[in-house]
Amino acid sequence: MSHINQIIALLQDHSPVLVVIVLLVFAYMMPLFARWKKEWCAPLALTSIALSLGFTGLLTWEVFASGPIRYEMGSWAPPWGIEFLVDYIGLFMLITIGIISLLILTFGTEDLTHELKEKVQGWYYTLYLLLVGSMMGLAITNDLFNMFVFMEIAAISACAIISIKSDRECVEASLKYLILSAVGTGGVLLSIALLYMVTGHLNFDFIAAGLENVLYVYPNNILVALALFTLGFIVKAALFPLHVWLPDAHSSAPSPSSAMLSGLVIKIYAVVYLKLLMRVFPAELFTIIPIFDIILILASMSIIFGSIFAMVQKDIKRMLAYSSIAQIGYVFLGIGLLTPMGLSGGLLHIFNHAMMKSMLFLSAGAIIYCAGVRNISDLKGIGLKMPLVMAVFTIGALAMVGIPVTNGFISKLYLALGTLEAGKPFYLAVILASSLLNAVYYFPIIIGAFFGHHHHDEYGEEVEEGPKVKKLPMAMGVPLTILGLGCIFFGLFPGVIMIVVERAVGMFL
Amino acid sequence: MEDLIVRTISRTLVPFIQVYGLYIILHGHLTPGGSFSGGAVLGSSMILFALSFNLERGAKKLSHDASTVLECGGILIFAMLGFYGILAGTNFLTNLKAGFYPGVPGEFFSAGFIIFITVALAFKVASTVITLFYNLIETEGEAHD
Amino acid sequence: MIEVALRLFENKYFLVAMILFIIGFHTLLTHSNLIKKVIGMNIMDTAIFLFFVSIGYVDGAVAPIIEPGVEQAYINPLPTVLILTGIVVAVSVTAFALSLIVKLYESYGTLDAEEIMRIRSNEP
Repeated sequence: MSHINQIIALLQDHSPVLVVIVLLVFAYMMPLFARWKKEWCAPLALTSIALSLGFTGLLTWEVFASGPIRYEMGSWAPPWGIEFLVDYIGLFMLITIGIISLLILTFGTEDLTHELKEKVQGWYYTLYLLLVGSMMGLAITNDLFNMFVFMEIAAISACAIISIKSDRECVEASLKYLILSAVGTGGVLLSIALLYMVTGHLNFDFIAAGLENVLYVYPNNILVALALFTLGFIVKAALFPLHVWLPDAHSSAPSPSSAMLSGLVIKIYAVVYLKLLMRVFPAELFTIIPIFDIILILASMSIIFGSIFAMVQKDIKRMLAYSSIAQIGYVFLGIGLLTPMGLSGGLLHIFNHAMMKSMLFLSAGAIIYCAGVRNISDLKGIGLKMPLVMAVFTIGALAMVGIPVTNGFISKLYLALGTLEAGKPFYLAVILASSLLNAVYYFPIIIGAFFGHHHHDEYGEEVEEGPKVKKLPMAMGVPLTILGLGCIFFGLFPGVIMIVVERAVGMFL
Repeated sequence: MEDLIVRTISRTLVPFIQVYGLYIILHGHLTPGGSFSGGAVLGSSMILFALSFNLERGAKKLSHDASTVLECGGILIFAMLGFYGILAGTNFLTNLKAGFYPGVPGEFFSAGFIIFITVALAFKVASTVITLFYNLIETEGEAHD
Repeated sequence: MIEVALRLFENKYFLVAMILFIIGFHTLLTHSNLIKKVIGMNIMDTAIFLFFVSIGYVDGAVAPIIEPGVEQAYINPLPTVLILTGIVVAVSVTAFALSLIVKLYESYGTLDAEEIMRIRSNEP
């Protein structure tokens, strides 16, 4: 019995690095299995994410018991070594990424046999596990260059899971994403160079201590570094002016990829940006440049324009992609408000939107798998043939609008209270207007799906009542149900996840 | 290409290029170089061979299966060396404190596990370069990872 | 005027890096051929690497390889090590972008970005 306790203690001590490494090791075992034993690929991938989630659970237990954990790689103390810091916000992102990616991959094991060619299906799992591993690494790293390396791994894997389906729209969207992402990463590397020039360190805490001393000696370096960081992260998180890669990329990708990209990938960059702003740059810098006001303006433009563009789309996945632009605007609105309630609303919206948007994209994928239709006008009457999928879609749409009982209502409530607390009621009007716009483009789909029916076509012949539908496999139905029930559960009992969020916000403000 | 001069010269030169590449790899902890540059030189030698002779002879020399095993094997050896640090009681990827042989700086057998990591990563880089080349040249292939 | 020129000459590595960055970015934005855009991206990345490596340079010092017994000044090895990783990443991104361009050429038959947009906007 003591052996088991010893092993658990060993695993608990090294959990911060095991969360990332187990995913990377399994990602590199996938090609061997894809070549020789194809049917083991999917169970192995699910096992690895489940293992990583188990290590996250061990970390949660320890962080709640004794505070944030620091882990030194290679036993070199910082500043000579790379350090992982698991605090409440890192833990929050680890939990979100772990749970949502496990559910999306369960859906994907059945959907990928339909969407991808035979010989690349094993490689999809490699790319997916690399993407999840690098995002988990981004959540907990405390070193600037380690952050850059994980950003690059995430960028290449994210582009690759779009273009792995070799239609020509996918390849073009992936190329656009890749080039824009490379520009963003170049900006981030240049700003790392500028910060290294004036402080001589790469660790977040040491840079923060150094920047406080040299802020008035080298002001231009630090201002340009802040500007380039903002540019890099705005490109990758798809905020208003630089969002142009997102609609093509998220709408032409295979459904599990779209769910993963919209739900998780754009959010982790917002969290890393928040950590940089609050931990690395000194607070006096924000009196020289009002960066939080700039973020507020860009976020509100993102919210309004995302919703307006989504209203005129005809393809369901493209509409959901434009809706993602609006929702990431909410997260940045929470970051820009900088009050406890506003920031809690923004961070809670990360978790809620990950659940809601994955649910919506997966149900759109289920509709495409079973019925083969993508246009909104073809979705009439499909609610009667696929009741589970449309019920889940309805819950997701209600959550996006912000109806009480769903979890979307809780995060919007916190954001609205945050705008009042910060004394900027203009943004309350923005939130309310965008909720109304959300209703304008979601409700016609639901009403048409349950109550609509096809007309006769122009030759006077009777069109059959809706498209033929295949049966929904269980591997696709179970994650949808879990996500739907989760939305309602977290709408009724938000306290379960608010514990982590409140402690995270408490550490920043 | 079917040129006689190119074939003769490349047949003579490829062993020398490979020896040079192996020298850069094995002295990674003593002189500039290491796994990335040495692996690129080693991969380029195979590309030169495949370009001057035809592609099937190049593919027979290093087949798709072999390069897949080399790619994955490199990373797995890296991870195993890292886990050895965990089993020895210190953190992940610990070098001297985990008990690897330190030696005298400047000698060939020194610096702990740096030489093992260099060799593993160099073979991974070489096989990646070759895989990228094959996937770009063949008309039907995916070039990921 | 002379002082400005002298100060620019003192930081000649940074000046050349910024000029290369502007050239690369300009190529990425204005040329419509896809391969030229990838080349522009490469020039931009090379400029950033030059900037980063030149931070670590010390006048009159030698490469950071210790010879036992000889007392010398060494340059800072940390930027060089970071840029080694950066170069590998840039090569991977370039390889991936070029393979995507090969696929695009097979589907559309042209390498011109504006031509591809015209073909896409004409199809239903």
